[in-house]
Amino acid sequence: MSNEHTVKSYEEELQNLKDSLIKMGSLTESQMSDSMDAIIKVDKDSIDKIIKSDDEINKFRSVIDIQIMNLLVKRAPMAIDLRETISSLKISQDLERIGDLSKSNAKKIKPLPLDLPEELLSNLKRLGDLVIKQLNDVLDSYINKNFDKAKTVWEKDEQVDDLTNIAMQSVIDFLSKDKKNLDFSTHLIFATKNLERAGDHVTNIAETICYLIKGEYLKGSRPKGKQAQE
Amino acid sequence: MNKVKIKSKNLNVHYGQKQALFDVNLDLNEKEVTALIGPSGCGKSTFIRCINRMNDVIDICKVTGNIEIDGVEVNDENLDVVSLRERVGMVFQKPNPFPKSIYENISYGPKIHGKGDTKSELDEIVENSLKKSALWEEVKDRLDEPGTSLSGGQQQRLCIARAISVNPEVILMDEPCSALDPIATAKIEELIDDLKKTYTIVIVTHSMAQAVRVSQKTGFFHLGKLIEVGKTEKIFKNPDNKMTQDYITGRFG
Repeated sequence: MSNEHTVKSYEEELQNLKDSLIKMGSLTESQMSDSMDAIIKVDKDSIDKIIKSDDEINKFRSVIDIQIMNLLVKRAPMAIDLRETISSLKISQDLERIGDLSKSNAKKIKPLPLDLPEELLSNLKRLGDLVIKQLNDVLDSYINKNFDKAKTVWEKDEQVDDLTNIAMQSVIDFLSKDKKNLDFSTHLIFATKNLERAGDHVTNIAETICYLIKGEYLKGSRPKGKQAQE
Repeated sequence: MNKVKIKSKNLNVHYGQKQALFDVNLDLNEKEVTALIGPSGCGKSTFIRCINRMNDVIDICKVTGNIEIDGVEVNDENLDVVSLRERVGMVFQKPNPFPKSIYENISYGPKIHGKGDTKSELDEIVENSLKKSALWEEVKDRLDEPGTSLSGGQQQRLCIARAISVNPEVILMDEPCSALDPIATAKIEELIDDLKKTYTIVIVTHSMAQAVRVSQKTGFFHLGKLIEVGKTEKIFKNPDNKMTQDYITGRFG
């Protein structure tokens, strides 16, 4: 008994869908990494490129939607194929939202001063690095169908919450030193919150991958950091 | 979950030297639809034919093990097969109405089973059976016309009406829609939904989509063995057995 579909074109269609999702994931990861780099370096020249890369991600979302609809109408997928198809729909939605958040963060660079305090930047960078690592791990777990890795990502969102809390506090400290900092501090608060939200989308993807692999949803509630509980 | 109506225990069937079923243990619940799926020759039809002892008519067929309806052994030599088949009706792949009028197609069963002594009693049975099989409105003005004059879908509903006419407890359906167009199929599926309120239904089907639509429980057979049985939703979303998954996703062979 082989693991391939008797109908070769069905096999190809499923493979194409997986390939599209992996490409979309990889674009989303680069965009987030670029956007994070640009914030830390307050690199205003990169803003347009990052905003533009979001169009590419959105295009993939449309392609994936069409691929999914074709699969549903042509193949009426069952069992693992059904879960693969539906999971792709959900994952592509989360990736698209992550793309939107990276784009939004890039837009926040413009009003920032070039001399932001070192501690504030390093706290924000720690948060950004963790979210990027989480996204990378979750995409890996999708490619290798690694349940344990996806579950670890799901559990590690607690750390994202904690680092968000720390980064947020350093922005508030910066703001309380001088009220003149109010304008760009607001942008930094939103950027921090965006990273936390991106982390939540990564967690959604991890949950979807766990369901895709085992056919059942993760039991219990995910561990949450201090700030997320409040 | 409804109570178990039919229970098979270590059921084995041989056609001469060839073994067609291997130790099948399967519970079928009352007033529920159970779908049996699997590639051709896997034993699903052989299994349902054990329920009303249709295999008796095949000389070389030998059935061992147990199959019970409401706890009563079907394979008991002393069991009255005619009354068993009154309790367990059957509908086949190809509609097979008698070469008689629509009315007689329905009234024949009750007559030979000694039901409906008077014309008015028979009229009532015919009307009720045709109503239950959702055919009454289409044929009420032409009951004297031959059953074979109806369309394929109508003929199949006539056969279902004929099965219902003797007031059975179980209806076996062996690929009842495989010769029908999608509209006639939809009508039969709608009918199955309605009939399960009164009867225990077992359907053999090659259409996965149909199994998902009509049944609450699904059993997958392969090479005479029951590989997996469970809630239909579970079987088609997340089966436990790799063979089941390969079959329903089209990775077989």
